[in-house]
Amino acid sequence: MINGAAVGSAESGSLFGRWETRLKLPGLIILVFSFSLVQDLRLLPLLLLSSMIIYRLSALPFTCLVSRVRLPGFFLLAMAVILPFWSGQTILWQFGPLALRLEGCISLLLITVKFIAIFMVVVALFATTPLPLLTRTMRALGIPWLLTDLLLFSYRYIFQLSSDLRRTHTAAHLRGFKGISLISLKTMANVTGSLLVRSHQQAERVFQAMTLRGYGNGDQALPEFRPVVADYLLLAAAVLLSAAIVLAQIFI
Amino acid sequence: MHIPDGIISTTAAIGGYAAAGGMTWLSLYKIKQKYGNPRNGIPRAALLTAAFFAASLIHIPIPPVSVHLVFSGLLGVVLGWFAFPAVLVGLLLQAVMFQHGGLTTLGVNACLMGLPALMAHRLFCLRSLFGRRKPLPNAILAFLAAFSAVAAGAIMAALLLIYATPAYFDAAAEKTAVLTLSFAHLPVALLEGTFTAMVVLFLLRVQPTLLEADQK
Amino acid sequence: MTEALNIQGLTFAYPEQAPIITEISFVINAGERVGLIGPNGAGKTTLFLLITGILQPTAGRLEIFSRPVKSGVFYPAVGMIFQHTADQLICPSVREDIAFGLQNMGLGNVEIQQRIEETAELAGITALLNRPPHNLSGGEQRLVALSGILAMGPRLLIMDEPTSDLDIRFRRRLIKLLDPMNDQTMLIASHDLEFVLETCNRVLLLEGGEIQADGDPAEVMGNGSIMESHGLEVPHSLSATWHRHRNED
Repeated sequence: MINGAAVGSAESGSLFGRWETRLKLPGLIILVFSFSLVQDLRLLPLLLLSSMIIYRLSALPFTCLVSRVRLPGFFLLAMAVILPFWSGQTILWQFGPLALRLEGCISLLLITVKFIAIFMVVVALFATTPLPLLTRTMRALGIPWLLTDLLLFSYRYIFQLSSDLRRTHTAAHLRGFKGISLISLKTMANVTGSLLVRSHQQAERVFQAMTLRGYGNGDQALPEFRPVVADYLLLAAAVLLSAAIVLAQIFI
Repeated sequence: MHIPDGIISTTAAIGGYAAAGGMTWLSLYKIKQKYGNPRNGIPRAALLTAAFFAASLIHIPIPPVSVHLVFSGLLGVVLGWFAFPAVLVGLLLQAVMFQHGGLTTLGVNACLMGLPALMAHRLFCLRSLFGRRKPLPNAILAFLAAFSAVAAGAIMAALLLIYATPAYFDAAAEKTAVLTLSFAHLPVALLEGTFTAMVVLFLLRVQPTLLEADQK
Repeated sequence: MTEALNIQGLTFAYPEQAPIITEISFVINAGERVGLIGPNGAGKTTLFLLITGILQPTAGRLEIFSRPVKSGVFYPAVGMIFQHTADQLICPSVREDIAFGLQNMGLGNVEIQQRIEETAELAGITALLNRPPHNLSGGEQRLVALSGILAMGPRLLIMDEPTSDLDIRFRRRLIKLLDPMNDQTMLIASHDLEFVLETCNRVLLLEGGEIQADGDPAEVMGNGSIMESHGLEVPHSLSATWHRHRNED
């Protein structure tokens, strides 16, 4: 059920894997925001080109991209059905009540390309950064520890709880549970309630065990910050590219 | 409803981050006020976040589509002020692990789910007026909390999609679109409300302390 | 004699991985109580998941009471107790939890209540019927899970590590509960060899996905060379006999 975790350390041989996370994270976030700012169609090829180069640098296989596009892709599909036919006044082609509109088609093109470009960069970012490292980096960048602790612990238990849940489903099936449907809503509510109760009970024990080992006394050590020149060069490249895109969008 | 990257305007995305930041700050402030040492609440919030995450991967077939529950109402009921940080963390995990949702839209999505969750929490707190351990008021308030959380989320998302995307709808089309999107969520809201009421009744019998996010 | 379980050439492997179960064949007759022993990772739980139809075999034939196992088909004749009991308890009260399977079998309310009372009486958990199962002790939870299965009247009862984390008293209660069920066919995987010795009249030794030994519990488990070569030890109650045998040789 859950296998989307960072392809991570396996790819750490790539340029992207080695890029110091404390510089990679802000660099790429600035970049995707500059992507999202684009409204001018003429900038779209640049977006696609730069995201492809970035994806190349991450040395991830193409399949990694395809396997992850399904969920958000569904949303995009819905937009593709709505926008060209309902958005705008300039009618390109009419068939009965159905009218293909220019403005809608332009919006769809813009949205699709921006989505694909950002998607590639985000996959490159997350698939080369294991979550524990990402969390510590966020902490080092000043994100409140309550959030980063919450993130780390949730991540730690997701795998266990998913397999708990799977075993509960199996057990229910063996006692004749017909599978998830509207009719079996009550059983599902019971299963969900049981999962919450068990998580709650386990949380008490986890908390006790953590307290015994000194949780809450002082901060955890942050990862060492030892950037090399290449790290800064990559950051500079990302920032320059972002600035170029923003300026082009404003002045062209 | 998770809005992916590249669809809404940058202004809206940044506004979403600002709002989410503000809400997180407020939540952390409230949590500190309540717990003294907020670390005490972390294992519980984290495990429940993980549980919600795991449970939200289950899909329920409502022919012809299959939906997964949003859990925004139940999250608010069980986690109280921890709900907003939990939503934020859950969405980040989904973005990191499945690219579900988006990175630029993280703030917006957190608000779309987290604000209704907090609203559901406030609504559920009203049970103290009717008797905290009585099943009927608990079930009704849980239903209302979850129903309105989904409805509010859907309406907010619809408004956002209409006004913050590069689309050019005329006023009538906009109104129709908002109404359609909202009504399309009606079955989901009903399902979510019923489901949440059932879970709350379960918790009331088995572990009522799980429903006391409003109490110290 | 009726065949309860007939397995021929059963093989199971996850895609692109080495097989976990390799061409296993054996027959369990109705009324036999079979202990399944073997080191950790021997394939015991996988075998159970195959028998219950949760996993699809890669190859081979699997029949329960002369009926081929089909995955996804509800078959109340087979009941299974999981190693992690908490996975099995889903309803807000013990009574409802025992009723869960019975309702799915389509029984009427009167019969459901009657079966619940009988099983609870048998397992000695009548006093717990109205409590939430989640807050019970590990031993009580095990008995509740067992009651939920026994109430369905399984013809083949499968238990995965039924004595793990039971104290001596609950372990004894479990043995006493199972002991008089003379006609009940059972398949019990356990590291608790003394328990297998007390409850079973046949034992299968599984390692590396293959059956390594099959026979009388005292004979198989009393044979030190077999046991030690598969990372197991002769249970204490048999070790005196084994040493005496070896000294005589």
